[in-house]
Amino acid sequence: MLITLIRRELLDNLMTFRFAATTLITLLLVVANTAVLIEDYEGRLASYYTALETHRQQLQETKTYSAGKVVVDRPPNPLSIFNVGLDKRLGNQVEVSYALVPTLWDAEMSGSDNPFLNIFNSIDIVFIFEVVLSLMALIFAYDALAGERERGTLRLVLTHPLSRGHVLLAKYIGAMLCLLIPLMLSLLLSLILLTTTAPFSLGVPDFLRIGGIVLASLAYLSVFYLAGLLISAMTRRTSTALMISLFVWGFLVLVYPNMILAMTHSSENLKSRANSAFNQMKQLWDEFERERKQFLANDAVPGEDWIFYEILGVASSGNYHAAKLSTLSCFRRDFVHFTALDDELESQVSHLQKYFSFLGSQTIDTAEQTWLVRKPALEHLFVQPANTEGILLKLSPVGVYEAATQAWAGTDLRGVRDFFDAARQYRQTVIDYFADNKTFGSRHWFSSDESAADWSTLPQFSFQRSDVATNATRALPDLFLLLIINLALFMAIFLIFQRSEV
Amino acid sequence: MIWHIAKREIYDNLNSLRFALATLLLVALMLTNAVLHLREHPERIQRYRTSVTDYWNTLTSRTNLYALAQEGPGLLYKKPSPLRFCAEGGEDFLSDVVDASRFGWSSSSGLKGFWRLEYPSAAPNLQNIRSDAVKIDWGFIAGYVLSLIAILFTFDSISGERERGTLRLILANSMPRHTVLIGKFLGALLSIFMPFTLAVLINLFVIYVSGDVHLDVETWRRLSIIFFLALLYTGLFIALGLLISARVRQSAVGLVILLLTWVTFVVFSPGTLASIASRFSPAPMTADDYRQRQTLLMDEVRAEEIRIEEIDPSMRMLANGRLVIDDAERNEKLNEEHLTQQIAQVKFARSIIRISPASLVQHLLESFAGTGFNRHLQFLENVKRYAHQYREFVTDTDSADPDSPHIIGVREGMSRKPVSPDSIPRFEDILSLGRDFNAVTTDLLLLAVVVVILMSGAYLAFLRAQV
Repeated sequence: MLITLIRRELLDNLMTFRFAATTLITLLLVVANTAVLIEDYEGRLASYYTALETHRQQLQETKTYSAGKVVVDRPPNPLSIFNVGLDKRLGNQVEVSYALVPTLWDAEMSGSDNPFLNIFNSIDIVFIFEVVLSLMALIFAYDALAGERERGTLRLVLTHPLSRGHVLLAKYIGAMLCLLIPLMLSLLLSLILLTTTAPFSLGVPDFLRIGGIVLASLAYLSVFYLAGLLISAMTRRTSTALMISLFVWGFLVLVYPNMILAMTHSSENLKSRANSAFNQMKQLWDEFERERKQFLANDAVPGEDWIFYEILGVASSGNYHAAKLSTLSCFRRDFVHFTALDDELESQVSHLQKYFSFLGSQTIDTAEQTWLVRKPALEHLFVQPANTEGILLKLSPVGVYEAATQAWAGTDLRGVRDFFDAARQYRQTVIDYFADNKTFGSRHWFSSDESAADWSTLPQFSFQRSDVATNATRALPDLFLLLIINLALFMAIFLIFQRSEV
Repeated sequence: MIWHIAKREIYDNLNSLRFALATLLLVALMLTNAVLHLREHPERIQRYRTSVTDYWNTLTSRTNLYALAQEGPGLLYKKPSPLRFCAEGGEDFLSDVVDASRFGWSSSSGLKGFWRLEYPSAAPNLQNIRSDAVKIDWGFIAGYVLSLIAILFTFDSISGERERGTLRLILANSMPRHTVLIGKFLGALLSIFMPFTLAVLINLFVIYVSGDVHLDVETWRRLSIIFFLALLYTGLFIALGLLISARVRQSAVGLVILLLTWVTFVVFSPGTLASIASRFSPAPMTADDYRQRQTLLMDEVRAEEIRIEEIDPSMRMLANGRLVIDDAERNEKLNEEHLTQQIAQVKFARSIIRISPASLVQHLLESFAGTGFNRHLQFLENVKRYAHQYREFVTDTDSADPDSPHIIGVREGMSRKPVSPDSIPRFEDILSLGRDFNAVTTDLLLLAVVVVILMSGAYLAFLRAQV
């Protein structure tokens, strides 16, 4: 009997104009946007490879170790086609220096060809589902109960020896099957486009992640269908149900996310927090500078440290200071490059070596100490507000859906931060490599007169996106939340429908 | 008679749920908008003032003509519009500064590169890990929300009456159909006009009372234009609603068509079409190409320097001057070319997305609010005019001094007389309504034409419709 009812619902929905029209529009939008998104991804991939090559070359051309600038690049995420998240927006290259522990806030963006194009909003596949399919779900739902009641067919259905719960279930399953069709069709088309036209291939893990996105989409659509059904069960007339549904939709999808993001803002006490952390970091570097002077006064060339300064003045040398309050970045590193050493200099080599090996270890120490101050401060300044905002956003199912799909795609904050964790690990590797080879105290650190620095044995940086299991654990809370909303809505509908007059 | 129909429509709407919901939504959005503006705008103005003072102080601290000619005017800032709450216009993605300061090269002979205009791009998001959001401005409220409300108010205005049978009653009176249609149009427009006006008044009241944001006569004029544009745009969707409503038998079908049209044209087509269009227009030079060409220019300078060292010492100064000026010119030309190509791509995309009425009205609102892309172009024009003026000032001051050898580009070749700070031209970014109006007449006409076409379409459909 349940099957008959489901079949009836399914046919009722399938044969309608609204089904055909929405499916068509979804397909059109998904195909058009996928084509654009694939091309965009290819462009980003190409510039990633260019950047990789440029940075490699720049490093090879550097003659001394101290002047070497090791830069790591973040590859674009192919699943950003589904939900772009933060993938395109945040910096995609960061310098891995012994003087600074790299974070997301030190990253830069390798040049975009036309930064003006950012004024147009980009559309990803999840956004299309978010807007069109949720609308479709509501359009299917608004007259499911109110309409049948108006037409009187609800009485007929309920004359069968069937519990009301079964009737609801049949309606739900029928409509969800209907919603599944445009969802799966459009995904299928975009996957076909992806596999045929794109020069890159997706692996099994990626397909699993896409499966996760589909799961989240289904849960999201079901929330909207049930919300529509709830409204339909609560109202007497279809037109009222429709009005309420559409206003609820407009509010949840269009207004609420934008409004909540506009209303939250950083407070004054964040500024003072930033200032205090920054001053602490500056003090650490001042301390560093004092010890450096102390070293020069005591150990370098006893009594004649001006000679030492003069020596350093001859070389193309310098130090790079950076102090930026907005991102709490504060560090100092030296770079020195002698192309030739004359006799006078030659006599000082051992001093220089001592000085630079001292400076190297001191810089690393100070960098670690500032990192201890900086890390919690950055968390407090940037991550916590973003997380609070994320929670507020989740008051609308749209926010939950966005979070879940981003987690699956790996384009959320955690996904991007994985890269910077890898960069930090790589920094440790580089420092270890320098320490193992005693690079800081070597002649190659500051001079290329004997031979240029050899970068070829430096360990390579590699970054793998987190595995599917990690994505799943990150997405699970949000999926779970969607399920709970679903269940709650279903219970509510059941209770109301149970007690309502036909 | 028209008024009769309109009045009936308004009374019908006033008592309806949708009217209450629409009012609530609009007021909430407008309040958010006002609060947001009051929070951000004073900060923005403060930043602009400090930057401009800095610019002027640095500039006037230079009394030496060579330093003035070499260092250039410095950073030139875009004046923030007081009406940014009407249309955000992607200002976050448009740089608010043009760099007119010295280019860093110097040679062993004491020669130094001159200033040239460079156009830094804005990268607002690199440190921002918050979610993306559309800024809630009047553009959003009109573009998305008003149009949706217009659809919800009109989707059943004819088909619903037909379903209920009341259409027959109306047409049984000796009333021509076009009167009925116009009456319905006016009725719907006025019933949206009321909550919208209320919301706008609340918004402006909050902004005005706070006193943090100064609104002058010119701004009020712009505001009223923006208000009428929003209404015209609403009219477009009302006409569309009437057209569909006259064509279909069932209101539900009409609503589906309208919603899908709305979603396609308002939500999706601006973004999608812009991406597609920017692929089809010639791509601007890549960031790599640009850097390479910069390096090439630098190489040219080096080569030229070596050549100059071999020529007759008496001619050297003249050649050096030429070199510096040429280099600045070539660099500026390269920057200009880079910028022009980027702008061309954006312009093309912007002309394509006019297919969507939402972007049409967005462009219009931006122009009158003094934000967005067109405003940015205006700012760039102002900067270029000023750059020209500044260079002329340097030449004129130099030629006014009879002791100077009149070779601009080298220290020894230029006037040594101290320059009075009052004579240095000052950069002033201006917004003017007249210029905006010329730039957007096409958009305005296009919008009006679409409204008229849809309205006549609705009329034709209604004429042929069976009751």
